[in-house]
Amino acid sequence: MGILAYQGVSKRFGQHTALEGVSLEVVQGEVFGLLGPNGAGKTTLIRIGLDILRADDGEVSLFGAAPNSKTLDRTAYLPEERGVYRRAQVRELLEYLGRLKGLRRAPARNAADHWLERVGLGAVVNQRIASLSKGMTQKVQIAACLMTDPELCVLDEPFSGLDPVNVALVTDLIEERRRTGRTTLLSTHMMHQVEALCDRVALIHRGRLVVYGDLDEIRRRYSPNEVIVWTTMDLAALGVQATQNKTGGWRVELPPSATPAAYLDELVRSGVLIDRYEPWVAGMDEIFVNLVSGDR
Amino acid sequence: MRPQRIVAVARFELLSVVRRWSYLIATFGLPLFLAAVSGTVLGAQTYFLTQRAAESSRFGLVDEAGVVDRSEFKDRDGAKVWTANANDVVLYEKRADAIEDLEAGRLRAIYVVEHDYLASGEVRAIQSQKTPLLSMRGTTVEPLLRSLLRRSLVKGRLETDVQERVLDPAYFVRSRLGPDGDKVTDVDEVLDLLVRTTIPLFLGILLLTALLSASGYLVQTVSTDKESKIVEVLLSSVTPEEILAGRLFGLGDAGLVQFAVWSSMVIFVALSASAALAAVVTIPWQALLVAPLLFILGYLFLGSLMLATAALGANAAESQKLTMGWAMLAILPLMVLVILLDEPHGVLGQAMTWIPFTSPLTVIIRLSVDSSGIAWWEVLGAMLVLALSTWASIRVGARLFRVGFLLTGSRPSLAELWRQAR
Repeated sequence: MGILAYQGVSKRFGQHTALEGVSLEVVQGEVFGLLGPNGAGKTTLIRIGLDILRADDGEVSLFGAAPNSKTLDRTAYLPEERGVYRRAQVRELLEYLGRLKGLRRAPARNAADHWLERVGLGAVVNQRIASLSKGMTQKVQIAACLMTDPELCVLDEPFSGLDPVNVALVTDLIEERRRTGRTTLLSTHMMHQVEALCDRVALIHRGRLVVYGDLDEIRRRYSPNEVIVWTTMDLAALGVQATQNKTGGWRVELPPSATPAAYLDELVRSGVLIDRYEPWVAGMDEIFVNLVSGDR
Repeated sequence: MRPQRIVAVARFELLSVVRRWSYLIATFGLPLFLAAVSGTVLGAQTYFLTQRAAESSRFGLVDEAGVVDRSEFKDRDGAKVWTANANDVVLYEKRADAIEDLEAGRLRAIYVVEHDYLASGEVRAIQSQKTPLLSMRGTTVEPLLRSLLRRSLVKGRLETDVQERVLDPAYFVRSRLGPDGDKVTDVDEVLDLLVRTTIPLFLGILLLTALLSASGYLVQTVSTDKESKIVEVLLSSVTPEEILAGRLFGLGDAGLVQFAVWSSMVIFVALSASAALAAVVTIPWQALLVAPLLFILGYLFLGSLMLATAALGANAAESQKLTMGWAMLAILPLMVLVILLDEPHGVLGQAMTWIPFTSPLTVIIRLSVDSSGIAWWEVLGAMLVLALSTWASIRVGARLFRVGFLLTGSRPSLAELWRQAR
């Protein structure tokens, strides 16, 4: 049962159609990737799911009911367009946002302190937000999002502006949520993070759902019939239609009827000394570009 | 709406505002600054007036008509001098002698009672080129000369008591019937008028100041939210109604604190003078009692509309412009104050009592001027209309607030606003 489910959701802004009949589900305990180019309708879909916007058509269900103040208390949202009160103190802002989610004052303060420690900002609890760097401010917002231990956390581009150390920190936090059965809806353009974190993904383009399902299954489905061969020999000189990539591997496009196993057998029989051999599985970057640019 | 969330928003907004330097300066610094400036101005004015009063001023009087009673003048240094209120008036037989002294700077001005004075009533005032045209000394001496001429004209022609009445024919004593029509109370006309016009004006200005000040903060918070983009986080946690109500209460509290500090200074002065005032004027207690309630209702009503419209602006300046209209509507009773003071329970006064934009100020003005002319059900009715309008404006305002908040760039059409507000 999806804890966030969209059924035939459409949204128009004047003459512009932002979403057209989108149906998908985010199930409990998973990290769900919401992908799409800029302006595809991802943020609109998130806003509708969190009752910030209302759909023109279709139905939305959050924890099995139409989004309402009770179900929204079980969620947290880090929007792409970050917002903080720059004049506020770090702890004060977190305490306030915690209280808006229903925490009482003391638990909100304790949670604020705990999560600021978790993201490495324990030393700046009394500083004004305005005095923090961009990366630190972003970590404050991530802490604000996680401090209520929400059942569903919606993170829109959580890695943008973070250095590699902090990207790893946020990645760990998302992994930890998965381990504890919490659900995360992740919207990002960083495809290697999608590959590392997401269980399932949906790709939206021009307001329509283009791809939706299990990440590995999608990668296999959209992979070409190619293999990568690592060898010290020059495959091109041997008459094989291959191109060498940056890692030194030879990328070979197989005929539609051939299988990787049969082609490996053929290479061995023809005397090619193989160091390593694997079928080519397309990355999400490649799938994204192919699907989006192919439709342009 | 969940009270706990509203309180959280209100507390945060209140603390955010009251910790600002601009707020502290406006609340505590401004009254002290105004008190210091007023004290300095008053002190300087008193000092210079005292100094001038100490100066001896001489005027010349040429009696060409021969009507001035010479017995009022005393011989001093070879001249006939009449002294009144620190002014010396020297009597001259010839105009040329007086003009010579005027040119020499020995006189401030000369007054010539012309030959045909009895027929024309003309007394020519001649000043030197150095004397300011609107010299205070010149204007204060003239009523004294008029009085001298009056006494001189009637002297020996009428009996003493009649003379007195000719000189001062009527001293008006103002009275007002009590509520039962049986008791007559003497009132000081000037003080009564002052209190009855000053209190409505004062209450009105305080209401507007508190309202505009608090709404200024409201508009500022909307701009901050839009510029900082935090609104999505807020809207994913609390409803627009809760944000709107929390802001109204929080910033309303900040406005009320400001209002209380400002008015406490005035109340202190009023209390000091109340014992003396109560004996001669009617203090409009009913107006003072209902004023706080009307302030709160009026603030909530106009504040919610201001918040909603401010959210439609793309930036702080545009938000301010959009909310100006509501402030103008609230000021309306002050614009027609003269009519309301003259006829507080006329058609205009009665109509404005039932319009939520104008009712707080109108009810206070009507109660201040004449509390007997406004029925209790009118006061309660006006409050009820205001409360209902406040409820409606918060409901509609919250929806517009959501629409306005999520705008990026373009402003929604009126049709879109109407669709969202329903």
